[in-house]
Amino acid sequence: MTIPALMTERLRLRAPQAEDFAVYQTFFADAVGSGNYGGPLRPDQAFRVLATDIGHWALRGFGKWIIVRRDTDQAIGGCGLSHPRGWPSAELTWWLLPDQRGVGFATEASKAVIAFAYQTLGWPIVETHMRDENKAARRLAERLGGSITRRAQFPDGVTRDVYALPREKDARATAADPKPVAGL
Amino acid sequence: MIPILHTERLILRPYQRSDFDAYAAFYKSDRTAHIGGPLSEKAAWALFAADVGHWQLHGFGWWMIEHAGAAVGVCGLHHPPHQAEREIGWSLFDGSAGRGFAYEAATAALGWGWAYDPDSGIVSYIDRDNVPSIRLAEKLGAIRDDRHPPAHDALAVTYRHPKVAA
Repeated sequence: MTIPALMTERLRLRAPQAEDFAVYQTFFADAVGSGNYGGPLRPDQAFRVLATDIGHWALRGFGKWIIVRRDTDQAIGGCGLSHPRGWPSAELTWWLLPDQRGVGFATEASKAVIAFAYQTLGWPIVETHMRDENKAARRLAERLGGSITRRAQFPDGVTRDVYALPREKDARATAADPKPVAGL
Repeated sequence: MIPILHTERLILRPYQRSDFDAYAAFYKSDRTAHIGGPLSEKAAWALFAADVGHWQLHGFGWWMIEHAGAAVGVCGLHHPPHQAEREIGWSLFDGSAGRGFAYEAATAALGWGWAYDPDSGIVSYIDRDNVPSIRLAEKLGAIRDDRHPPAHDALAVTYRHPKVAA
C-alpha cells in the first residue's frame, strides 16, 4: 500500500518515516504537552508509537500523517485517522509540539484529513471523540463545525462525547507523491 | 518488501489482518508476563501494528510463523532505540510450544538476519527466570554475555548468537 502526501496552504502531510522518531521523542518527553496522549513516554515507548502509526497504515489502509511546515520543513506533529482493533469507532486525531500550537495548524491539517476521508476514502461520516477534560480537543472539534451526535462508553470504561465532523464545502484534499509502506 | 522464509515445516511470512485474533488471544494470557503482557485487545493491536511498522523503520522486523495453514507464533528481529543491539525474539501461541517450532523459525530468522547485515551482532535479552527461552537460546548456540548486560532491563540477561555464514 502507499501513503499519499496532502498539501495545505502552510503544511505538508506526509508518510511517517524513521527520521520522525526525533519529533515523536520530543513530543512524548513533555509530560504536559503529551498528557492527553498517554504521555509522558520514554524514547523506546515513543518509538513504539511511531512503529504502530506506520503499521496502522499497512493494516487499515489509512492512518496518521506527519505534519511538516512548508516554510521551515520542520516536522511539528501528526494528524490523521485512527482505528485500533478493540475500539468501537474510527476517529480524527492530531498532535502538535507545544510551541507550534495556537496558530491554527491543527485545524488546517484536520480539514485536509477530513476532506481526504470523505472524498478519497468515501467514508459516510468522520468522527472524533475525547475525554471530557480535554478542552483543547473539544475546541478544535467545534472549530471544525463538529456537533455531538452521541455519548458513549468506550472499552477503557471512560464515557466520551462523539462529534461528527461535516464535509468542508471549500476544502479539497490534493493527494500526491504516494510513498510505499512495508506491509501485508 | 517483507521477505518470506520457508523451513522444513514452517513458513515465516508477513503478518495478515486475520492473524490478529490468535495474536490477541496469546497476549491476553499470563504466558506473556515475560514480554510485557497481558494486554487488552487495543494494546495488543498497537503492538501488532508496531511489529508490522518496524519493517519500515529498520528494514527488518517480525514474521508470523505459519504451520499447516495456521498462525502458531511470531519470530523476528527488532531494534528499539533503548536496546544496545538488534535482538531476535520468538513467541509461540498456546498449544504450539514443545514441537521445536521456535528453534526452526529462529534458525531461519537468524540466517536471514546475518545475510541482511553481517556486521552487527544479534542478541537475545531474556528474563533471568524465563527458562524455556534461555534453553532455546542455548540450543541455538547463543552464549550468555555478562560483559554486555542489558542496560534497559535489570531483570534480563544477554545471550549472544554466533555468527553464521550466509
